[in-house]
Amino acid sequence: MEEKQLVRLAQDGSPEAFEELVRRFQPKVFSMALSFTRNRQASDDLAQEVFLKAYLALPRFHGKSEFGTWLYRISVNHIKDYLRKKGRAKEVSLDDVREISFSDREQAERAEEEREIEARRKLVRSFVEGLPEKYRVILTLRDVQGLAYEEISRILKLSPGTVDSRLHRARRMLRVKLAPHLAGVGGTHELP
Amino acid sequence: MNCRKAEKRLLRSLDGRLAGPEAEALGKHLETCPACRRAATEYRSMLALLRDRSEAEPMPRFWERLEPRLREEKEIMPLLVWERWSLRAIPAFLALVGIIGGFLFFTPPAAEMSPSAALLLQNQDPLSDTHALFEADRSETRTLMLMFASLDEKTPLRRPTP
Repeated sequence: MEEKQLVRLAQDGSPEAFEELVRRFQPKVFSMALSFTRNRQASDDLAQEVFLKAYLALPRFHGKSEFGTWLYRISVNHIKDYLRKKGRAKEVSLDDVREISFSDREQAERAEEEREIEARRKLVRSFVEGLPEKYRVILTLRDVQGLAYEEISRILKLSPGTVDSRLHRARRMLRVKLAPHLAGVGGTHELP
Repeated sequence: MNCRKAEKRLLRSLDGRLAGPEAEALGKHLETCPACRRAATEYRSMLALLRDRSEAEPMPRFWERLEPRLREEKEIMPLLVWERWSLRAIPAFLALVGIIGGFLFFTPPAAEMSPSAALLLQNQDPLSDTHALFEADRSETRTLMLMFASLDEKTPLRRPTP
């Protein structure tokens, strides 16, 4: 059944239609929450709350955008609220991540490849968490979730130009922070 | 091409949004610029690490856990609506009380008003009051006239007979 039809049936009170929408979109909502929180239980709770919100707001959905876009907007706003409440927006200093730093090449070579990748991933995520919210959100939607520019533009209600420039700045900020760890011992490799 | 421009184009190229002469120009720049080549390598590593989603497997029985919560919400929805509206009504009610109280409290006393304004505020009709005053005057005049008339009857005016 088509998405629009399912939405209409769900608006008319069909639990089966809403269940189908949940089954279709749950992995993406969960994955989005996970990419922000890095906690499976918290992400599951957030996904449940997002669908609860969507269910209550369904009568006010007029189909001006795609259902998915509308749902992701609810998700992003809900996740942002959650993160603000949790106080996760704090700047991550280098000291916070020194334990999992992989700047020591010898140590990294000795470690298993899997563990190394995991450590790098943790490091990158720690730095992503340290970015200002507007950059973190856009970077997560594009580079972690892999959403298209146009979709991000619709979800965040930003012009494509703003998405482009904000994403550029976010990536640049992240690379500057990560550069010493990505390239081994050395400077930040700022472009001249 | 300078390095800042090259970085912008590099990011667009990593997104698969760069083609044609721009891509060629970037390629040429990267050949001659070690700093940008290093930046390209770092960006590639960074994006590869960010895009990893191996653990994004949702937790089981999602709908089975969600469905009772939806039912519960649906049941308490009318109560929530009432609660929301009643909460909104409280400030509106207080504002109304404030406006009425302020109007009554800050209205100038009757002494500072013109007579007609005072009468209006007291919900009195100035015309009917004036009419009453006239009526009172008229009855007084009539009484005086009767008094004079009776005096005239008791002491009739005698005209000297020629």
